[in-house]
Parts: sequence; structure tokens; C-alpha cells
Amino acid sequence: MRYDFGVVDLKLRRNLYVMITGIVVCSLFVGGLTFWLNSGIGVGWHFATPVFTGAWGYVVLMCCVVGAVGVVWLGWYWLKLAGTIASIAQRITGSNSVGRIGKGKLSAINGLSELINEQLDSNADYIAELEKQIKDSQIQIQLTQRQKRNTDAIIYSIRDAVIVVDEFDRLLMANEAAGRLFNFNFKTAQHRPIDELIPIDADKNEFVDFLRQSRQSKSRATKREIKIVDRKEKLNAKERILDCIISCVYDESKQNCGVVAVLHDITHEKEVSQMKNDFVNHVSHELKTPLASITAYSEMLFDGEADDEQTRKEFYSVIQSQAKRLNRLIEDILNTSRIESGLIKVGKKPVSLAILIEEQLQMIKSYAEEKDIKIIRPECKDVIVFGQVYADKDMISQVIVNLLSNAVKYTRSGGSIKIETEICLNHESQDVARVSVTDTGVGIPENEIEHVFDKFYRVEANKAQAKGTGLGLNLVKQIVEKVHNGRVFVSSELGVGSTFGFELPLATQDVMSKA
Amino acid sequence: MSERKVLVVDDEIHIVHVVAIKLRNNGFEVISAENGAEAFERACEEKPDIIVTDFQMPVMTGLELVEKLRRNEATKNIPVIMLTARGFAIEDEQKKALQISEFLSKPFSPKELLRSIEDILYHEKIKNQNAEVEVTH
Repeated sequence: MRYDFGVVDLKLRRNLYVMITGIVVCSLFVGGLTFWLNSGIGVGWHFATPVFTGAWGYVVLMCCVVGAVGVVWLGWYWLKLAGTIASIAQRITGSNSVGRIGKGKLSAINGLSELINEQLDSNADYIAELEKQIKDSQIQIQLTQRQKRNTDAIIYSIRDAVIVVDEFDRLLMANEAAGRLFNFNFKTAQHRPIDELIPIDADKNEFVDFLRQSRQSKSRATKREIKIVDRKEKLNAKERILDCIISCVYDESKQNCGVVAVLHDITHEKEVSQMKNDFVNHVSHELKTPLASITAYSEMLFDGEADDEQTRKEFYSVIQSQAKRLNRLIEDILNTSRIESGLIKVGKKPVSLAILIEEQLQMIKSYAEEKDIKIIRPECKDVIVFGQVYADKDMISQVIVNLLSNAVKYTRSGGSIKIETEICLNHESQDVARVSVTDTGVGIPENEIEHVFDKFYRVEANKAQAKGTGLGLNLVKQIVEKVHNGRVFVSSELGVGSTFGFELPLATQDVMSKA
Repeated sequence: MSERKVLVVDDEIHIVHVVAIKLRNNGFEVISAENGAEAFERACEEKPDIIVTDFQMPVMTGLELVEKLRRNEATKNIPVIMLTARGFAIEDEQKKALQISEFLSKPFSPKELLRSIEDILYHEKIKNQNAEVEVTH
């Protein structure tokens, strides 16, 4: 509560003025009366004579005057004192924070006011310092809050799982990726024990164990590959490999006050690395096999081990066929790589699929006859029209030969292969030409069928049936979908056979005329 | 002296053919198989003096074949030469445990293969003679 010292001062002054005026008037009245009685004018007022006449009269008059002066001085002094006290009060309460208590003629109070002034001045400095510190602290708090928000945003947005626990293994913070990885709600999991969130069962305790070991080891940061079982899909639990870095946090007294774990999922990298490794081994085997034949037969010829002309011819023929096989393989690898990198030159022209199929069938015929496989070519539903599709002839030939040779490869002796072509007229979308190759081969298990067009993928159960690099079908997909804007398809029944095929958009009149 | 018998196992028919010609030209009897399973049956029936097998084959690989041979009393001591087109060979311990006499990587020289076969058979002969002498004494 603040007092209005101006009002108080005014009231005080008014009362003093009234009082002083009263005293002066009274004094003058007494003085005048004394003078009047002494001068003999006031005859008849004898009852006052002993007091107001003669020497006593002057004494009384003097006393009155001195009293009046004293009262005036006292009033002035009082006023001054009240003013000083008011201004001290004003400074203390802060309503007059700048001005100092003025020096007056009151020596008694000047010392006090000087002391108070000094104390208040030092208080003012201290308060100013405190205010500055508070302001600094407020700025610091704002900065820290901003930094925390930034850090939170970074942690929540990164793909790696981040988990922070306190010294009692209770969760302090976890980001969305961590919640997803260990299957808990990261928003509501705070302060819950970590082994409750990541249940210690046979699969998942590797992480919690590592966390505790790292804390006990007292090392600042430790790194390890750990495995966890992802049970999000109940029927299809998948093992995940994580690169886990655990950092221990210490307080000023070097006591552990928490642990930060960052988990980077390297399952895919591992798979890719394994795939590459398998591919290198596979390609190495595939390249070396024809090369081994070429080397061995050449050496035999050179050493004169082929006695007659017929044997020599047979050796030359093997060398030639194995060299072609080697070349085909190298071309497959290069083509896959070129298409993927977009470096391949595409020469599109109007081509007839029916004619291309006939050409490729001639090439595959001897291979099929070797295995006693019958090739069925039903009566074409479409007439052989030049320029059915606008495509790169060599590439589409490659697609057809890959599908046909795969069909022969995975069909047992005595089986058959049917190749069909048809035109599909779509009212809603573009008209397409469809080619399908159906075999009576070993078939593909249902869970593997979606992967058959993947690069380097080979159906596990069929690896024994035939050799391959896992590139042929991937090349088919790349050529049809990436280069020609078409679509590949597959259907299969294990032990019964498979149908592989592709659709290409029919060449329109516009395209044909431009070509 | 009876003809020495070699079992050549490879799913690549051209390799089997060329090895067979080289060995026959040098006085060996050659029998062949296309995969490990077939090779095991032929080894049990024919008791070859040595087996030359490919590493990677359908149905049963070369390694599986050797493992099976070593478990069988009749075939456990037959020396084996393994041909491999793989970018890596197996560990030394495994090679020793399976008693694989030699690894030859593809492409290989038929001459070199012949030399290896003769060396191994010569050492086997010496070993057997020593064993016989020990038994007689």
C-alpha cells in the first residue's frame, strides 16, 4: 500500500497554520490588553490590574511574544521534520526512487537522512544489479528453452531411435523411432522402467543388458551391434540388426546420472551387403565356369590331346559356345547396370512382337529340344502387324529370350512351354499388347513370388534346378517398365508351373507417323 | 597293375568331358556324376581311387558330398580334389577335417589336375605299402 504524502503534508501544514495564527492572535490580544490597561484607558478593569499592569505586564507581554515566536519556530521545525520523514518514506517505499532526501537546516536529522540516503543508494545499486541479473537469467532461460525445443525437434525428427534413461533406468525421453522400434507409446512412456517398456524376454533383452553393462563399465561411450526381434507383425517376426551407441552422462561429482542410447537400424545395409557379397560370389562362379571350359579345351588342343579332326571340331565348338555364354552373361550384367544408371541408348522403332517372338523361338528351339520340351504356339489371336509397339527391338528381344530360356531352364524333361500374344483394348486406359509364357515347370512358392523380379534374387527351392545370376528377370522388369513404360506380371503354382509375361502400350498413329 | 579309377563330378558337362579325355589319354578309367547325390551312389558302387568334384552343384554340393563320403565306412578314405569357381575357398580347418587333398580353382589346367591326381595317388600308394609292412611285422 502506498501513502499519498502530498495530502498528508497539506493537512499538516493547514493545521499548523491555523494553530500558529491562533497563538499569534492570542499573544497580540494579551499584549494589546496589557498595553491598554497600563495606559490607563482600560479603567474599571481592576480585577486584571495585578497581572497586566506595571512590570508584570511587560513580563507577560514578552512571554507572549517569545511564546508566539517559539511556537512559530516549533511549527516550522515540525513542518521540516515531517517533510523529511515523508521524503524518507517516499524513498523507502520507492515512490521517489531517483531524488535524494534534501539537506535542510535541521542538523539533528541531516545525519540520519544522510545515513538513510547512503543505505538507500547502496540498496538501489544492489536492486539494479539484481534486476540486471534477473533480466540476464530470463534471457538465459529463454535461450535454454529455445535450445531445448530445437534439440527436441532434432531428436524427434531423426530416424534413429533415441532413448534417454535416468540413473534408475527409468525412461526420461524417447523419440518416435524408439517407440516404433520397441513397440511402445513414446509420448506416455516417460518415467516408466526401461525393462517394463522393453520386456526382458529371450529376444529383446540384449539392448537392456547392453545398457546396464555400459553403465557399469563407466566408459563414456560404447558401441555394439545388437539384434532384436521385431514383433510388430505377429506372424512374421523379423530379426533386426542395430548399431547401438550408448553414452553415459555424469554429473559434477562424476556420478552417473543417466544413459543416452542411439540405435541405428542397419538391417537393410547388412542385407544389401550380403546380397552384394552373394552376387560377387555368384557372378564369379558364373563367369569362371565358361572360362574354365575355354581354358581347358584350348590347353587340350594346344597339347595335341585331340587326336582326330572330329574331336578337334568338337573342342572348337565347345570353346565357341562357352565364349558366347560368357559374353551373354557380361552383357546381362552391363545392361542391368546401364539401365539402372540411365546410361543406355534406347533406339525405339515400331516393331511387331509376333515377329520378335518367332525369331527368339528359333534361337531357343535347340535348347528346348535338348531337354525334350515341347513349345506350343497357339494360333495367334492377333494378326502379325508391323509396328504393334513402339520399342527398342534388341531390348524386347532380350526380354522374350530371357522369359523363354527361364521357362526351359525350370521345366523338367517332357514338359511344355506355351507362348501367347494378344491385343487388349482398354476403354479406360491405353490399349496394350500382351505376351505371356506359360511353362509346366517347378513353380514358385507363394511367399517368394513377389521377389522374383528383384535384382540378384533367386528362388531358394529352385536353385538346384538350374544355374543363374538372378539378373535375367530383373532385366526384363527394367526393360519393360523403366524403358518402355509397360508392366510385367507373374503367376505360379508350386509343382504345376508358372506364367511370366509383359504388356507394352500399343503404338498410336501419332507415334507411328512421327517414327 | 589294374587301371586306376577316377570319379569326376560336375554339373557342367563340358568340364566332365574334358577331364575325362585328359585322364583316359593318360591311362585312367573315368566314371562321372552330375551332382553330389549321384556321385555318392557311384562312389559306393565303384569304389574309385580318387574323386574330382566341383564345389557348387545342384541337389548336393561338393562339400556335402565329402561330408557324406567321410561318414561312410566304404568311402571314408577316398582322396578328394575339389574344383571351385567361387571367389573364396573354405577354411583350412574344414579342409583338414574333411581330408580334402587339394583345392583347384577354376579355370584350371587339365595338365595340373592330372599332376595333382598322380601325386596324390602316389602318396596314397606309399602310405598303403607302409601300412602293409607294419601289419606283416
